[in-house]
Amino acid sequence: MDFHLKKRARNEIKVEVVSLETKYPHNVMIYNYPPIDDIQIEEFEDLALERLRLLRIFDHAGAKGLRLLSDDWKEYVNAELSREGLRNYLRLCTTSGANATGAKHEADIQTRRRDYLSHFILRLAYCRSEDLTRWFIGREMEYFKYKFSALSGPEIKQFLEANNFHFQPLTESQKDEIKDGLYESTAGQSVTKIELLDFYKVPFTQVLDLVRGRRCYLNAGYAYVNTHDLVSIVGTKQQDEIEQGLQAAKLLIDDVEADERIARMLKALHTSYTGKDYTVSREIAVPIESLDQLSKTSMPLCMRVCHEHIRTQHHIKHGGRMQYGLFLKGIGVTLEDSIRFWRDEFSKKMDVDKFTRSYEYNIHHNYGKKGSMVNYSPYSCLKIIKEMAAPGDCHGCPYKALDQTTLKSKLTSYSLSPSACEEIMYFVSRGHYQFACGKYFMLTHNSQTEVAINHPNTYFEESQNLMGNRQKRNPSSQASQAKSKIHQNLIKGHADRSMLMGQDDDELWRIAESQERAYQSQKGISEAFDDDLDLTEIVD
Amino acid sequence: MPEQTTTEESQATRAIPTYDANILPDMLPVYYRRLFPHLPFYRWLSYGLSEDSIFCNREISFTLHDDIYIRYLCFETQAELEKEICSRNPYKIDIGPVMNTKPKNFRAGGLSPVQRELVFDIDMTDYDDVRTCCSGAEVCLKCWKFMVLAARILDQALREDFGFEHILWVFSGRRGIHCWVCDKQARHLDTRGRGAVAEYLNIISYVNVMGTNAARCQLGDRTHHSVKRALKLVEPLFEEIILEDQNLFGTPKGLSKLLLMISEDSARNELESYLQKTHEDGAHSRSIWESFVRYANSMRTSGNVLWSRKLKHIVEEVQLCLLYPRLDINVTKGFNHLLKSPFCIHPATGKVCVPFSLSAVAKFDPTTVPTIAQLLHEINAFDDKTKMDQEAPEDKSRIKDHKKTSMFKGVVVFEEFLRKLERECNQSKSSNMDF
Repeated sequence: MDFHLKKRARNEIKVEVVSLETKYPHNVMIYNYPPIDDIQIEEFEDLALERLRLLRIFDHAGAKGLRLLSDDWKEYVNAELSREGLRNYLRLCTTSGANATGAKHEADIQTRRRDYLSHFILRLAYCRSEDLTRWFIGREMEYFKYKFSALSGPEIKQFLEANNFHFQPLTESQKDEIKDGLYESTAGQSVTKIELLDFYKVPFTQVLDLVRGRRCYLNAGYAYVNTHDLVSIVGTKQQDEIEQGLQAAKLLIDDVEADERIARMLKALHTSYTGKDYTVSREIAVPIESLDQLSKTSMPLCMRVCHEHIRTQHHIKHGGRMQYGLFLKGIGVTLEDSIRFWRDEFSKKMDVDKFTRSYEYNIHHNYGKKGSMVNYSPYSCLKIIKEMAAPGDCHGCPYKALDQTTLKSKLTSYSLSPSACEEIMYFVSRGHYQFACGKYFMLTHNSQTEVAINHPNTYFEESQNLMGNRQKRNPSSQASQAKSKIHQNLIKGHADRSMLMGQDDDELWRIAESQERAYQSQKGISEAFDDDLDLTEIVD
Repeated sequence: MPEQTTTEESQATRAIPTYDANILPDMLPVYYRRLFPHLPFYRWLSYGLSEDSIFCNREISFTLHDDIYIRYLCFETQAELEKEICSRNPYKIDIGPVMNTKPKNFRAGGLSPVQRELVFDIDMTDYDDVRTCCSGAEVCLKCWKFMVLAARILDQALREDFGFEHILWVFSGRRGIHCWVCDKQARHLDTRGRGAVAEYLNIISYVNVMGTNAARCQLGDRTHHSVKRALKLVEPLFEEIILEDQNLFGTPKGLSKLLLMISEDSARNELESYLQKTHEDGAHSRSIWESFVRYANSMRTSGNVLWSRKLKHIVEEVQLCLLYPRLDINVTKGFNHLLKSPFCIHPATGKVCVPFSLSAVAKFDPTTVPTIAQLLHEINAFDDKTKMDQEAPEDKSRIKDHKKTSMFKGVVVFEEFLRKLERECNQSKSSNMDF
């Protein structure tokens, strides 16, 4: 990437000076070519931190439960951008670059440069682990979409031409042939609008987010999208570029870090973001005997529900085992204890052999001791909220998965007052599940300070801190922990899987699935033959 | 003469042995040696060798006795695969993705999937809350109708919306169906693409209402064409399946299922008291449904805010909730997911996982799918008969063994699927060579 080129360029005489204007012609750019500029190490650091501040704003907006590009969201993001001293980025996001003149225009071009460079710098810091990568891409895409949404019609056209997107709108007669489909299936546009809009025919793989939400007309493998949907196509392209760039950056990271100054900075950046890394279990071991108590005092609702389910049903489906099992690992339950906990419960419904054969592997796997040897991170709120619960499941975010009446009676049964319930339900009914969880925390801990819940393990930790059971982790031990993790990653880079979108669970799903099936089929056999094996001992 | 054949047949039927899981290990070697369609199986997974390493980098896994599970197997040639299957006699064969390198070298690391059929898994257990005829592992012709409808809706969406053509439907051996989409574009979808297709086709979500899961789906102001099309298939069969066969709302428990599908508490309570007033306990589903539809319509036309906005499409939504395919979308989303191969024997039922043709899906009867015991019996009977009839042993060897049995139809469906697939693979191969 840039650093190779940079080092080489140092001794060369620049023959051609390209003006910044030609280099950064638009407010919105596809990050496809790594920059080859020389920059000072101070500026390098500066840019990195600036970008980080920028992306964190989008992170907070998401955590507050604001819908991307909604008015509330924009209001919040704009205010934060000004507050953080990122007004120049605010201009990129909200004003059309074409109208600026003179000094303003000059400033815009400088911001475009900072925007472009800082993105590439952060790639180096965020290519290290799957969690970081996922976070980075998510925020970058939100930023990109915000910038793109500010473009005017002609600017979009200009952008498309500059980036080799060639779209031919459908002719009137082509449009007429499929008009019923367009009317029925084009989301977000009124019928009269649809009549006026230009439509484009693209392979469905280019607009996956529209396909996912059934937001466009789809026929024979082609999606029919209107001008407003083009951001989807361009966004897909941008995301591909970033994903590939991160993969490439990962291969170069060793070379880059040969420079001590850069290495130090990038690593510091890494810790300054992650703050909490629950992959490695904590120094204090939590005995499983305390889980019943802890589930009442310090676990968020999603985990408490799982815990109670296991205690009463002595079984929990795969999704729940993953969600709760990894959470337990995160709060400091050791592998041995974990196995004991699951075995004690499950063996009330099946014999120990069966448990050993069908479930123990999974626990080892979660702790990174078997199979792909990846030490899996506990699920964050975002992942849990996204989970779709099927019949018989008990995982997922209860504020989302439970219907309101059930949720209310559940909260009441945990001896929350009716008014307290109402306070929580206020957020639930508006779809702000993490706020609801934060409220639940405040109410159950008699705390006046607001807490932002982004991770069940954060919830647990905050609770323990409040109750004085646990010291706040001091920053130095945290840094050294993170450092050793980087080291780990570098050594066995291959074990750290680099794909996105929850692929990390694939292997687990597969194994669990086949084992569950095997279990089911065995159960089936014994049922079919009225074999009174251990099944008579099932207590429900 | 005709009398003779009938007696023979009845003798044969009487003699069909029931399947006994304990002797499966003794039957599998014969099944794999004489009946498993090795060549078509290879023809499928090799895709006419239209892409590099498409066969030899494919992950296959075997499940042996006592749940011994061997992953990351791969084979160079058809002969090698056949030899391995016949010597190991797996209880189950699973098919994984084509990898970037040989899966057996997985310990070296860096193994990642390159392509894989887009797969769907529909399992009857996911319908347990809407069927009254059977539950769990059981399946009968009545509840099989859920599967028939699910397969039709899914097949139509895959063909019309996504333009896929090479779709293989397979009975999963007990109570479910698998769908393998084998078009090149489908095989090369990345994780994001698979996720998007799965979510597109998955319109039902579940919420937990008072301890039970209730299915919900929400149709907006305008209904997406794919959902509308599904409704066209669902509506004509709703009465037959839900009201007549299952008589789903005929019990207080069943009735509560209908009520739980209404997302608004107040509307639900009103409807409940209305239905209680107009019906006695245990009234037939048909009359309950009629009252429900009438009630919903009159509330809507009278301008009730809830019923004319949020619950505007409630009648259609309930129909979809009950009959729209219930997919296990994690199977579809996973690039790496292993799925049981066609022509395996289901160890619990002994039934063959036979492919079936969608046009004849209504006639497909899961209860009469041949078991391994029955098949072995059939080849023996056939051999005996030809021996008696003709005394010409060399003639016998010319007839493929599976053609002598009731597995024949499944193989024909498979070969028809292969014929179309290979035609396209060869086309793409020759067009590749042109450039």
